[in-house]
Amino acid sequence: MASATASRRLMHEYRALTIDSPEGITAGPIDEDNVFEWEAMIQGPEETPFEGGIFPATLSFPKDYPLSPPSMKFTCEMFHPNVYPSGLVCISILHPPGDDPNHYEQASERWSPIQSVEKILISVMSMLAEPNDESPANVEAAKMWRERRGEYENLVREKVRKLLGL
Amino acid sequence: MAEQTLNIPQLIVVAIVGFVVLRWFFSSPSSSSSNAPRPSAANSGRRIDPVQVEMLLQMFPQVGIREIMWDLQRNGGNPNATTERILSGRGLETPPISFQPHATETSANRQSTSSSNSASTIAAANAKSSQPDLITRYNLSSKLSAASQGDQSSTKNTSQTPSGKQAWSQNKAERAQLLQRRREEMILAARRKMEEKDRLAARNGISL
Repeated sequence: MASATASRRLMHEYRALTIDSPEGITAGPIDEDNVFEWEAMIQGPEETPFEGGIFPATLSFPKDYPLSPPSMKFTCEMFHPNVYPSGLVCISILHPPGDDPNHYEQASERWSPIQSVEKILISVMSMLAEPNDESPANVEAAKMWRERRGEYENLVREKVRKLLGL
Repeated sequence: MAEQTLNIPQLIVVAIVGFVVLRWFFSSPSSSSSNAPRPSAANSGRRIDPVQVEMLLQMFPQVGIREIMWDLQRNGGNPNATTERILSGRGLETPPISFQPHATETSANRQSTSSSNSASTIAAANAKSSQPDLITRYNLSSKLSAASQGDQSSTKNTSQTPSGKQAWSQNKAERAQLLQRRREEMILAARRKMEEKDRLAARNGISL
């Protein structure tokens, strides 16, 4: 029952994203037989070291979506303070409300059913442009980003090129 | 008559005894249900997000899964507190053996999932280090060479992509195909743009 609601909502979002997709974002189910697993492509935002790159990621939706947020994982190498070395993305919009008793994040930033895949992907894009230094998922990347920005940017640029086969 | 008057107090006694027995019966499950808050306190353990456990495990592979789960349960599922605690060098408490029952129930599958997860992440990491670029991954080398041969047609393609507000097809297979095409075009366009930039840089004599 709940999963029927979830599939309906996911198909609806898929449709909306196909008809009118935001610049630099492509997303949809890997296989429509299972609408709970999506693949997304995100373009690196301009004027950042990620510029020009295309980054694939998978989105896994829970059966009670949109009550609970999906999880997002880059399937390419991502050197970013808010991305775990495994590729798992750590941003506030992917955290359910009430998850953070320390109030690092405001409730409005976190997941709620009025958010959407599109908003997640847009948030991830802006996360690429502006890492959040407060809760680093990749400590090494966070440290380099903070202390040796030039080195960090060169490393990212190199990875972007490698990913495109150059 | 006398028998009947005797019967009424008897009935009362039976009713009272029955009531007490029933009370006792109901109270014993309710006393076990007053234990239930403990499992439901451990339910906050159920509220422990396996994703959080996995995250913490990835951050601190040296820390055991039971210690992580125990700490998460005690701080109400706050991974930041657990992280700080580990980083502060205080270390995590060893969970009591009584933590086992709940732990075995969920962490058994978790342990298996997490071990398979860590195995898969290791595999993924290995795959990642040797992971092919997007061109090989999505089998685009033929399309890329075709595109670079006919540069005009490729520029036409790129001019199509920004206006690529595709219509929604009613056909499932068609939709999948459209999505795949949009993905491929995105990668190819990015690659072409990067090559173009390289060419410009080379022309201007700037390395990289």
